[in-house]
Amino acid sequence: MSLEQVAIGSVARVADVSGSDSTSLRLLEMGLTPGVNVRVVGTAPLGGPLELELRGYRLSIRRHEAARVAIAK
Amino acid sequence: MSPPPDGSSAAIVVALVGNPNTGKSTLFSALAGIPTRIGNYPGVTVEEKVGRFTHRGQAIDLIDLPGTYSLVPKSPDEQVAVDVLRGQFPGVPTPDCVVVVADATNLERNLYLATQALDLGLPTVIALTLSDVAAEKGITIDAEELGRRLSCPVIRLVAPRRSGIESLGDAVLAVMKSPRLPPQGLDTHLAAVDGRHEPAAREAIARYAWIEELLAGVVHRQPPAHRPLGERIDDLLTNRIWGTLVFAATMLAMFSSIFWLATPLMDGISAGMDAVTGWVEGLLPEGAIRSLVVDGVLAGVGGVVVFVPQIAMLFLFVAVLEGCGYLSRAAFLMDRLLCGVGLGGKSFIPLLSSFACAIPGIMAARTIENPRDRLLTILVAPLMSCSARLPVYLLLCGAFVPNVAVGVSWLRLPAVVLAGMYAVGVVTAALVALVLSQTIFRGPPQPFVMELPGWRWPRWEVVLERVREAVWSFLQNAGTLIVAVSIVVWALASYPHNDSVIDADVAAHREVLTARLAGLSTDDPDQTDVAEELASLDTDTGLAAARRGAAQRQSLLGQMGKLVEPLVRPLGWDWRLGCAAIASFPAREVVLGTLAVIYNLGDIDPGDEEGGTALVRRLRAATWDGTNRKVFTLPVALSIMVFFALCAQCASTLVVIGRETNSWLWPVVTFTYMTVLAWLAAFATYQIGTWLGG
Repeated sequence: MSLEQVAIGSVARVADVSGSDSTSLRLLEMGLTPGVNVRVVGTAPLGGPLELELRGYRLSIRRHEAARVAIAK
Repeated sequence: MSPPPDGSSAAIVVALVGNPNTGKSTLFSALAGIPTRIGNYPGVTVEEKVGRFTHRGQAIDLIDLPGTYSLVPKSPDEQVAVDVLRGQFPGVPTPDCVVVVADATNLERNLYLATQALDLGLPTVIALTLSDVAAEKGITIDAEELGRRLSCPVIRLVAPRRSGIESLGDAVLAVMKSPRLPPQGLDTHLAAVDGRHEPAAREAIARYAWIEELLAGVVHRQPPAHRPLGERIDDLLTNRIWGTLVFAATMLAMFSSIFWLATPLMDGISAGMDAVTGWVEGLLPEGAIRSLVVDGVLAGVGGVVVFVPQIAMLFLFVAVLEGCGYLSRAAFLMDRLLCGVGLGGKSFIPLLSSFACAIPGIMAARTIENPRDRLLTILVAPLMSCSARLPVYLLLCGAFVPNVAVGVSWLRLPAVVLAGMYAVGVVTAALVALVLSQTIFRGPPQPFVMELPGWRWPRWEVVLERVREAVWSFLQNAGTLIVAVSIVVWALASYPHNDSVIDADVAAHREVLTARLAGLSTDDPDQTDVAEELASLDTDTGLAAARRGAAQRQSLLGQMGKLVEPLVRPLGWDWRLGCAAIASFPAREVVLGTLAVIYNLGDIDPGDEEGGTALVRRLRAATWDGTNRKVFTLPVALSIMVFFALCAQCASTLVVIGRETNSWLWPVVTFTYMTVLAWLAAFATYQIGTWLGG
């Protein structure tokens, strides 16, 4: 399961970020590292980006980027 | 970086680095005041900002580096920051000391960059900004303990109140005197990371593990007794319904302010310029010098200054939105819409502002960090129908589009055509952006990973500095060039000037009118117009206007119009229209004035009721040379409007594109692609219109 599928308002624990390009590195650098807890705050209209809360701040990423972030069961 | 202005080598170079949105600009202003130099780093469109200040007798050059999240660069901005820090940027000295700005409300992520900077081994000081906001949120930080763990001074700042600024200066001087060893800690965590990751990913994972260890016992969170106002505002802004409403209201307010609020200021400037022009006209004798000063120089200066209210107004809005952290939220909300055409959410405000005027819009593209998105936005922004096109649409729609109902009685055809002109620009911009992003701008997808900073109150000194900087850079960089273009166009429209040719032209015109009048029956609606024009040639003003028209027609510009006639014929235009299109290169709104001159009305103002009516009557009566065939038909009016919707007839916009992209390639590209598209669309409009009508 990926971060894209997490219900709005719930908290998930990151298991892994797939890929080895600059996007996945940027996701890691922004703190989406394995083990961190992420709350999905909301989404922008029309299937826009996700708003996440992690490590005490808010981050927005697009859906296809969220799909790279695997969630621990 | 050039040596310090006074030539002394005693100044130490301090680099200011930090994540975006950390209050770095506020700290820069607090330390160094107004920057001594703002420009671009050589070869790239990354802003270079340098300031000079003295602390306890020590001169310090402060370099503000572009905001970055990491020292593994992913954009030209970040590359510049990294190269400067490593002493690898040509012409920029290696910094003697690094000040890392870290947001106290978000220390965990901010320490990512801070610890990377420490690893470089340069003397480093960490400046904790927004400590007051952190305290409101119930976050307390043991700065001394953090400093001990990182073996580097950590200074708590509330920059606008100057508390901590002194200690920051002291800390910089102290670390310069007694350098410390960079902290160790990453290595032990690296060993613990799963070996299947790439080295850079391993470093990221290990670094966060290290930071978590560093912050254990340093950061304490206690839920505040009262929820801070900022958080309650955040709740409203992120609410699905209220958030969208607030966004729509904010954008509407911003747009109407540049569209309507700037208008009185612009009118004031125009009136002031008119007064100066009148004064100069009284001083100088009639002749070439007066014409140069009035129609070349003063017209150019007026054409520059008139943009200042819109630029100032838009940057005031953008700086306030940026200051409260709302700019990112606007980008977040609009991302999906623009993502579909290969742009990003941050392109929204520049494109929206371009409906008022492309110049502030293109300048507002500075807020787009991603250089590819920024360039694409700049390239399509001039396609948005700006307020200068509106008078052209209004005049032609009113005069040549039949006022009939479309479907329902209240929906009139001229209004539909007017809306259609706006749609033509938007749809073309979307297609151009889509095609360019799939072709020449194709590249690895840029990550859209954007921080959504919490609500905070904007700092007025940062806001004012942003406005001042935008206005100043426009006047200084673009203004001089726009005046130069205006003088060149004046020369093209004024020379050669030969009185005997003008006399012959007027005489020939009189004959044409006489012949035409003889051929018209008294009940023909054109009869009165032609008779009136003929009679006006016997009045002083009428004759002067006809001579003015003849002078323009024989000028280089007029000859160019005749030269391009084969090119504009397929659009249904005669050579006069070609002339008007070429003469309106400096600014498309002058096309109506140019048409008035070419049709022998002299220097009337087509914007006012009387001038507009006179021009419409003259245009309606106009025929192709030597025939009774009308020039202005519905397909021709539509083809003119479509052409002006898409063409790049605005020298100021092209100059600003050149300045903002730091290259003359992009204005040339913009002019070429827009003119080709405008021609093709006008051609299609005229041909299809004629086919349908015939």
